[in-house]
Amino acid sequence: MPSRASRALALIAALTLSACATRPTDPAALRAYEETNDKWEPLNRTMFDVDQALDAALIRPVAWTYRKVTPEPVRDGVSNALTNIRSPVVFLNDLLQGQGTRAAITIARFVVNSTLGIGGLFDVAKRMGTPGHGEDFGQTLAVWGVGDGTFLYLPLLGPTSVRDGFGLGVDAFAFDPFSWYSYNPHNNQSVQWYLLGAQLVDAKSSTMATTDELKKSSIDYYAALRSAYRQYRAREIRNGAPAPAGSMPAFDDEEGDPFAPEKPQAPK
Amino acid sequence: MKRRDFIASAALLCLMPELAFAQAKSASDTISTFAQEGIVQILEAKISPAEKAERFRALFNRDFDIPAIARFVLGRAVRTATQPEQDQFLKVFEDVIVYTWTRRFSEYNGQSLKVADTAPDGPDGTVVNARIVGNSGDQSFGVAFRMRLRPEGWRIVDVIVDGVSMAITYRQEYASIIAQQGGMPGLISQLQTRAKELAKQQGVG
Repeated sequence: MPSRASRALALIAALTLSACATRPTDPAALRAYEETNDKWEPLNRTMFDVDQALDAALIRPVAWTYRKVTPEPVRDGVSNALTNIRSPVVFLNDLLQGQGTRAAITIARFVVNSTLGIGGLFDVAKRMGTPGHGEDFGQTLAVWGVGDGTFLYLPLLGPTSVRDGFGLGVDAFAFDPFSWYSYNPHNNQSVQWYLLGAQLVDAKSSTMATTDELKKSSIDYYAALRSAYRQYRAREIRNGAPAPAGSMPAFDDEEGDPFAPEKPQAPK
Repeated sequence: MKRRDFIASAALLCLMPELAFAQAKSASDTISTFAQEGIVQILEAKISPAEKAERFRALFNRDFDIPAIARFVLGRAVRTATQPEQDQFLKVFEDVIVYTWTRRFSEYNGQSLKVADTAPDGPDGTVVNARIVGNSGDQSFGVAFRMRLRPEGWRIVDVIVDGVSMAITYRQEYASIIAQQGGMPGLISQLQTRAKELAKQQGVG
């Protein structure tokens, strides 16, 4: 008799396969399908619904209460401290991307903020003219030339991709010193989970205004979020540099400026 | 030729390139003017929300190339859409954008826009990079305007915040609706519902 685990795996596999979007054969539709790059769209939309339900029932009330009961300086302090704690992960990814200067900035900020900034509560380094930056293993893989893979929507974690989801796991369970700490069975195992929970609420509380705005102005919030996430992510990978010229999607088989002024339409 | 006439025509000749230049206001001046007029005539003006929406609609029509944006946003669907569908879309798309922007007007708190620099955007365009600066100065953020030169002057075709382009996001969202929820008629009717909701929430329309 197959074990419970293998039956569960078989169920997940069946769900995943049946949840695959069908690949169109029409060339123009195929191009649109490839641009969307969301092979698991039906499954992702289900996970998106689960995420939205969890968000409404749990995360949002917590983040909302958190915003209500704490003054902004306190939230900034917590946010700063959580960012500071993540410095080793950023440093490691700076190095893996061959960004020596950025790695030095990360380490210098970590030292200054942990000491003068009282355990990272105050971003003293920024006030001294050295603002920080984020990095993660998904971005490192992108710099190494790994494509983002198909889109992935994870409950609680939100929009991501196969590459970035994998990167998230590597950061959390291999690069983060707090995970090393919890690998020792003599240590408190809950610390890492508390930290992840805190990071989640902090991230939610700081992105809530932007995502709410997108939700109100969109008629397919999932599709809008998928697009906005990809563009935001592409900019993070470029370390904030503007998009290279010609990276805008053009009309499928037309040449030239996608914003060209109206020309007389050929009779249909 | 009399001496006076000569001086007059010489002065005119010297001025002419200036005049030609002044006629086509630069891309960054177009953005500065747009922001300045928006702040004075809409955001700081003591007028009703409905009046703010109408003033914004006028400014939006003057400085944005809405038909070009609408065609970009529809993507390949523009080829198969009928003329009435295109006209309906153009109208409701304008409404959705106007009411999406006017929703935020009540949150205005003295922010201003500073043009930073411009860069070429394709063979015949310019991108104007600017910053929205708040009172505290700390919470400033970057915004880029993609511009195209039309016979009437520079027009905005896209607004990019944090690397996220308004036009691309709408385009990819609407492509999903068109493919999965009833093509162009489905998109138009959903947008009409949303535009009505947004207008109602603000007591306009």
